Amino acid sequence: MSLLLAPELARYRDEPKQLPSGGLGKNAFLRLGFRRSGRRTILAELNRRAPLLVQQALYWDEEMPLLPCVPIISNSGGILQGDRYAIEIDLDDGAEAHITTQAATKIHEMDANFAAQTQRIVLAAGAYLEYLPHPVIPHRHARFVTHTHIVIDPSATALYSEILLPGRKYYGGGEVFAYDLFSSLLHAARPDGAALFAEKFIIEPQASDVANIAVMGPFHVLANVLLLTPPVHAERIFEQVQPVLDMEHGWACGASRLPNNAGLLYRVLGMESQVVRAKVRAFWSLVRHEVKGNRVPDEFLWG
Amino acid sequence: MRSVTGLLYVLQFADSALPVGAFSFSNGLESAIQQGVVRDPASLKQMVLAATEQAATLDGGALLVAHRAVLAADMQGLVAVDRAVYLRKLNEEMRTMTVRMGRKLGELGAHVLDTPLLADWVRAIKSGASPGTFPVGLALVTGALGVEARDAFAAHQYGVASMMLNAALRLMRVSYFDTQAILLEVNATAEDLYQRVRADTIDDIRAFAPLLDILAATHVRAHVRMFMN
Repeated sequence: MSLLLAPELARYRDEPKQLPSGGLGKNAFLRLGFRRSGRRTILAELNRRAPLLVQQALYWDEEMPLLPCVPIISNSGGILQGDRYAIEIDLDDGAEAHITTQAATKIHEMDANFAAQTQRIVLAAGAYLEYLPHPVIPHRHARFVTHTHIVIDPSATALYSEILLPGRKYYGGGEVFAYDLFSSLLHAARPDGAALFAEKFIIEPQASDVANIAVMGPFHVLANVLLLTPPVHAERIFEQVQPVLDMEHGWACGASRLPNNAGLLYRVLGMESQVVRAKVRAFWSLVRHEVKGNRVPDEFLWG
Repeated sequence: MRSVTGLLYVLQFADSALPVGAFSFSNGLESAIQQGVVRDPASLKQMVLAATEQAATLDGGALLVAHRAVLAADMQGLVAVDRAVYLRKLNEEMRTMTVRMGRKLGELGAHVLDTPLLADWVRAIKSGASPGTFPVGLALVTGALGVEARDAFAAHQYGVASMMLNAALRLMRVSYFDTQAILLEVNATAEDLYQRVRADTIDDIRAFAPLLDILAATHVRAHVRMFMN
């Protein structure tokens, strides 16, 4: 199915008054290809089209000095109506990479059209990817649709986190779940095409009750963390993740085994982004320790 | 207009006494009660409303797609829906529930109805070619009996609500009067849910219940459990 034909977008097909949707400057493309060069992994292939930008791989991680760290940069200051982003990430045999973003991704207020993003992530045998972007902040009336497709070899590991804020929580009178649409589809498969699992969710805060006790309950921030890894790692990590429901301190978490031995889904809910980010960081630390035997680096002073 | 017999077919396959093992499951309610998220009739109602909404957008939508495949005698289409539902059950206990009940319903259907499609599906489950999820089983049985798609959807939604309310009677302090009042209110929302998902395709079926998933994660680890989910 084409992303742009999704029925939940039917109401948002009007054209913005600025640049036409998907036109020059609104049609970002990024392709990152990683491969081993001796013991080190290098960013061997880099293709980009504004407003998405990557300059070069840096080796800032003192715990894994051979790991290329790549911050994805946007030169448009956030996602705007009519934007169409496409990101491709490819890890060759045994390659390792850490990918993040420059800052939180702001999805700006919209009065026409929507923004869309597709991601294709491919991991060959023995590859190891940490894809840990900063949180996403959908502003009032934002409409965003995203498709992510992951192809992963059974021996590879991918840790992929998404942290979704309710909006600019303390802006004005408080912008909590004031966006129009957040639609997400993610599916994963093996290189031979065998499907592993799929997740589709649509959040339309104006149309259904997000604060419902099955959905977000009293919480505002959601982290969806996927760990695709061989069962030997998944089981050891699963045993160490204690589910928590702590209403008093405003957070909850739990892990579930994914279908077809694909790995784990770890979810965190919280009132504020700090506690959720800390729990995601703790899970990342556990994963890296179990899979690679390394610690995670200290947090940057600027977070 | 449906015949009296047609109505009875709907009742038979919506009945909580249908031997597919629904009594072993609480659809997440046991954990919600253990964790104090559900503690009185008001919060019970909220939980059942939430769960039936999730059931409608994932299993209910899939049931309608599968029902169309049954009417077209499209076995490939049925296997595709069956796999799509299974792949989207990211919560382990919900995954277990749907394939246990689905397989039992398939075997029951194949025994009492003797249609080639049901027999093929049960064989496909046994060979591992099809996972055997509950909404696909219900589509096969209702389709074989000439039950319309919307009535099959109604039976499905009723099954989810009655499973949870029957479990509630065993798990918490709540009366039959309360659960029947809740059931009336939940049933009142079913037409709207049907309208929301009636045109869905296999790409649209979805669920979003992170708190329910976290509750399920606590249930997997719980030492004292009456229900399997």
